[in-house]
Amino acid sequence: MQEYRKIFITKDEVVPIAERMKKAGVFLSMIHAFIDKDGKGNVSYEYEVGTGIESYTVCGENTLPSIESIYDLGAQWPEREIMELMPITFEGLDTSKRLFMPDNMIAGQGQILVTPMKELISKVQGKEDE
Amino acid sequence: MSYIVPIGPYHPSLEEPVHARLYTEGEEIKKAEVFIGYNHRGIEKLSTQKNYIQTLVMVERVCGICSHSHAWTYAMTLEHIAGMEVPKRGEYIRVITAELERLHSHYLWLGIALHIIGHDSLFMHSWDDREAIMDILEELSGNRVNYGMVTVGGARRDIDDTGRVHILEMLEKIEKSMNRLAEILLSDKSVALRTQGVGILTTEDAARIGAVGPHARASNIPMDVRKDAPYGCYDDFDFEKAVYPSCDVFSRVVVRVLENFESIKIIRQALDMLPKGRINLGVGIPRIPEGEYMFRHEAPRGQLCYKVVSNGGECNERVSIHVPTFKNAPTVPTMLVGNSVADAGLIIASIDPCFSCMDR
Repeated sequence: MQEYRKIFITKDEVVPIAERMKKAGVFLSMIHAFIDKDGKGNVSYEYEVGTGIESYTVCGENTLPSIESIYDLGAQWPEREIMELMPITFEGLDTSKRLFMPDNMIAGQGQILVTPMKELISKVQGKEDE
Repeated sequence: MSYIVPIGPYHPSLEEPVHARLYTEGEEIKKAEVFIGYNHRGIEKLSTQKNYIQTLVMVERVCGICSHSHAWTYAMTLEHIAGMEVPKRGEYIRVITAELERLHSHYLWLGIALHIIGHDSLFMHSWDDREAIMDILEELSGNRVNYGMVTVGGARRDIDDTGRVHILEMLEKIEKSMNRLAEILLSDKSVALRTQGVGILTTEDAARIGAVGPHARASNIPMDVRKDAPYGCYDDFDFEKAVYPSCDVFSRVVVRVLENFESIKIIRQALDMLPKGRINLGVGIPRIPEGEYMFRHEAPRGQLCYKVVSNGGECNERVSIHVPTFKNAPTVPTMLVGNSVADAGLIIASIDPCFSCMDR
């Protein structure tokens, strides 16, 4: 049986919880996120505790602290993915390079997959004209 | 002399699109970067506009190799939200399909790895065995890729006694052939030369980056969701976690070969102990109450996570999919550093990447 427990936390608790989990040798299964109907972020940090998942969830925030320094690439990739797909940012996360598609493909960075198609086409055409 | 060697997104050595940049000094790779997203189809977003059965059909198409894993994990997540108890026979059939899928996935990977190594006779041999497994899956489900064996609340197709006996006979032949293949794989000099000491991912690096599945087990991390957090009816079967400590490409070959034997063991037990009774709770569109759950399954490439949020309506409120390749791909740059450009293709392939899953 895989239990699932959801625990609501504030953005200030994200880093202390990550540090506590890392110290206890807990595996960060994934960071999930979605945007609610009011346009606010809903980010869950899923930790494998015993046979189940403890889901530490922050609601209503679009800027959160990065836990890259604690969980390394295991946190960096999910944070970069979320940052590029949704209007949610992580303070302290290195965003100098893209994860989704190379940074020299289309000017600008981040959120390429939520950019309207027309805008993408005009960017590409603009680049070709240069 | 320093060069930047781009690989992909479309390249003969890549089965699926991904882009890697290798920063080299002569032949040696000094640094590497990976860029993903070329296969993004917006499946998570689409699933918020589909009912639960339509989503089941769609998520089975996230991947062409571990399609059953996606459908099963999604179904299990819904069943936990709804508190459904799946009939035991249905659970057994799901496990049999999952382990057949693991077998054909590992054979596929072995074939690709052997092809990259240049050992094409062994590549043909392993894919010949894979064909026998694909035949079983076709007999079982009617399909070779998207089996449609899962519904919310059980399995969609039963296994009759003739089919059960036939699968057991086929497994006998596959195992015999696998023994011969394993013997050659683990003793062949050309395989050893191309894989031993190549693409090392230390246990510490694997744990630090968060590798999962056979990739982590090949770095001596004994993690396997089937054992660590049992689900379905995996508790009923006797099998071992396949772990190997050499942390290189050879270790990844050994782990997958050992896992093939364990999968055959599980399928045999499941067919021998197949309980009587119904296989599902009905095949209509299920009513899922308000709630959310996250479920994990040990897919052929490692831990597959589904998180589903339901508002009690007809469609999913949110479906979030995270696949093993997303956890294993960040290890690629670490493995590439210090190796030669000629080994880059094999090292990238050694995680058994599925970019179709990862980009979803």
